[in-house]
Amino acid sequence: MGAEQAWLLAAVPAGMFVVLSFFGRYLPRKGDFLGVLAIGTSFVLFFFVLYDFLHTGETHWPIVKDIKWSNIGDFRLRMGIFVDQITIVMFGVVTTVSLMVNIFSVGYMKGEARYWWFFAVLQLFAASMLMLVMADNLLLLYISWELVGVCSFLLIGFYWEKRSATEAAKKAFITTRIGDVGLLIGIILLWKATGTFNIQGIIHQAQAGEIGHTYLFVTMCFVFLGAMGKSAQVPFHVWLPDAMEGPTPVSALIHAATMVVAGVYLVARLLPLFEVADGTLVIVTIVGLVTALLSGFMALTQTDIKKVLAYSTVGQLGFMFVALGSGNPSAAMFHLTTHAFFKALLFLAAGSVIIGTHHNQEMDKLGGLWKKLPITGTTFLVGSLALAGVVPLAGFWSKDEVLHASRSWDGGWALIILGFAAIVTAFYSTRLFVRTFLGKPNDEHVYEQTRETGLAMTLPLVFLAILSVVSGLVIFHGVGRAIGFPGGITEFVFLDQPERYHVDWGLAGGSFVIATVGIFFGAWVYWGGSLARSTRMAEFQPGVYTMLQHKFYFDELYQGVVDRGVLGFSYIVSWFDRYVVNDTGVDGSAQMTGYTGFLLKYLQTGKVPNYAMAIALGVVLLAVAGLVTRG
Amino acid sequence: MATEVLWWIFAAAIVVASAGVVFSRSVIHSAIFLIMSLAGVGAMYVFLTVEFLALVQFLIYGGAVTVLILLALMLTRTSVTGLPDKVNGAQAPFAAVVALGLMAILIGVAVGTDWPGNVSDTPANIPIEQISEKLFIDFGPPFMIASVLLLVALVGAIILARQEEGE
Amino acid sequence: MVPLENYLALSAILFSLGVYGVLARRNAVLILMSVELMLNAVSINFVAFAVYLDPGKITGAIFAVFVITVAAAEVGLALAIVIRLFRNRATSNVDEAAIMKW
Repeated sequence: MGAEQAWLLAAVPAGMFVVLSFFGRYLPRKGDFLGVLAIGTSFVLFFFVLYDFLHTGETHWPIVKDIKWSNIGDFRLRMGIFVDQITIVMFGVVTTVSLMVNIFSVGYMKGEARYWWFFAVLQLFAASMLMLVMADNLLLLYISWELVGVCSFLLIGFYWEKRSATEAAKKAFITTRIGDVGLLIGIILLWKATGTFNIQGIIHQAQAGEIGHTYLFVTMCFVFLGAMGKSAQVPFHVWLPDAMEGPTPVSALIHAATMVVAGVYLVARLLPLFEVADGTLVIVTIVGLVTALLSGFMALTQTDIKKVLAYSTVGQLGFMFVALGSGNPSAAMFHLTTHAFFKALLFLAAGSVIIGTHHNQEMDKLGGLWKKLPITGTTFLVGSLALAGVVPLAGFWSKDEVLHASRSWDGGWALIILGFAAIVTAFYSTRLFVRTFLGKPNDEHVYEQTRETGLAMTLPLVFLAILSVVSGLVIFHGVGRAIGFPGGITEFVFLDQPERYHVDWGLAGGSFVIATVGIFFGAWVYWGGSLARSTRMAEFQPGVYTMLQHKFYFDELYQGVVDRGVLGFSYIVSWFDRYVVNDTGVDGSAQMTGYTGFLLKYLQTGKVPNYAMAIALGVVLLAVAGLVTRG
Repeated sequence: MATEVLWWIFAAAIVVASAGVVFSRSVIHSAIFLIMSLAGVGAMYVFLTVEFLALVQFLIYGGAVTVLILLALMLTRTSVTGLPDKVNGAQAPFAAVVALGLMAILIGVAVGTDWPGNVSDTPANIPIEQISEKLFIDFGPPFMIASVLLLVALVGAIILARQEEGE
Repeated sequence: MVPLENYLALSAILFSLGVYGVLARRNAVLILMSVELMLNAVSINFVAFAVYLDPGKITGAIFAVFVITVAAAEVGLALAIVIRLFRNRATSNVDEAAIMKW
């Protein structure tokens, strides 16, 4: 088993999807152990791949293996896998988080309808994401990309008996679809310019300057549209909070490992193209900054704990895009990794809260749960601190790297905006933790019936909490060396510019201050479960508060556009269909036929001589016509 | 020279007899004229030196077919004495125009066309063995099919004309 | 010998008379007789063409034999139909058999 067989990582869960979807409901325990087994196999195989990859040596990277897929005319289509450092990192993230989510789901989804189907789709989800990160050509990447979208649609709408769930699933699918169309256009444009789907081939041709400048700029803007849709960047972020309608483990999977990071991966994979196309990186950075800032503000007023986490994901993805826009994929991949761990932890812990309190997820009903949910509370605290960026948790190091990367923009505007977004992040993560776990219970009834959750749920929490604490340390050269990498993660991901990590004390200090300020401000406002201070803040600027509550009116704007634009257009189309197509075209031709038939039926006299006369007349006329044309 | 005069006489007889078929008011007269016309056509076959065909024409047409037609006339007579008020349909004038037009076109084409060289300067005098060889060997399958056709027509005619019970 | 054109012209006249009879007359049996005239016109054409233009000279005669055969079959069937019509409607006038319409 070597890195060339990395496709097995995706093949095993994909095969299990087929097994579970056909036979899952007849198996004992509805086949959940098979799901865990399949993704566990991928998890174990990942270490074989990693071992082989590291032992192959840097000179042989990346590892490529492809097969002939089909010939269309002169065009040869090859499909295969492409394993480089980014792929390895993504493998680690996806398999780890998927395994944890699978184990957690055994506890969380217990007794739900369509239990087997849930596990089946989880397998397909993981398989398509693994396929996505190892695809060596854009076609395979796009197929996996759409598969990921379909899986998220299926899982968000898992409770399809609930109208809101189906609406959310549709919203997620349609919103990302707008981006996906952009990606498809981008892929077609790239193929048109280069004649190949192979990513590395395209990059070589672009770097050699074989693609026109404006052409490449437009193309990459389309590709980035796809990444924006998938990664829920402003203005496509609206689907992600609604996606909370799905079961909580699904949220963890979507937010940490599979769905939304696909956009980050895509940009990281195609970053050489973005670098060649001048100006696209600025767009990437600005989109990331706007997203990081806006989503932070939107998270401030949310009272549903899962929605707060959803907006924080949007914001953290914005951080990653800023890192990518600054031309630093290693920082983006690092933040992606740590974020995957602590965001999966936070979502699973939130799921544990929901199960523990018997399906309560509004902050107004929670509070003071610390004593009742010790393991969940502790792990949630770890996750929140990592999100806020407290030293030495994982989030601190990666956020620091992103801030460092953003300094490459002259004038420091990117750094300042990111720093402010980080303060907001620390503030709302404190708010989330304080209002959920500290203070007095807001609802005694909920508090009374709360019980700590079972082992299947707490075990993944603890494991992810440990990862959230230590995974940031792989940035250090020494730590990376010790566990077999050629260096720290930033060096590992981009070896061609080996740059050993140095702690930038000024930035680290600033980052620490940012986290502390945010946390203390949050604690000051919300400590003790009293809403007096926050209410005063809300009343200080009621206009701003209302705007935040309405999430900057994005949904209202889209709804308005749909109502006025789409429905108005539909009205015209329906009028056209009713009166022109239906009445004139369909009914009109039928009536015309009927009327002419009514007139012409009198030609049918029923008398045989008349018919014979018609034949004779026809013969004579044909003969005359023949003679005339012959001349 | 004598043959040509004879030919013209026969041709005129055919035309007159045929006109009698379609113009005479009594169908019985028409049938008599038809026999004359068919016999004339048989004579034409003699002029064309295909005596066998002339024989067939006299036997089958002049004999069988006309007898059949006369039998049908006898069976479908409405009044023994009187003739029908109108022998022609309403479209008769129009039919005359069409028939004249058709005749003009056909004669025009027949006379106007420059036919390829006449290979028949000498009489053909086809021996009857040759005809039978052609008919039974080269045209064997069509001949058999024609016999089946006759059988089918025979059965069909019987079924159609049969007096059914209760009628 | 008489030229080919003469036979063709004779056949044309015969055929047109037949057409007129079919179109103008009302009696079904008479229409049948007119059809026989048309068939004879065609036979004359076949034989004349064969004798004048075909080196083998036989095929036209064979065709005429087939025409006669088919005509016999046709007359048999058609007269059966006429008798049937007469029995059902007490007429052999085709103008009165006009229920084949709207």
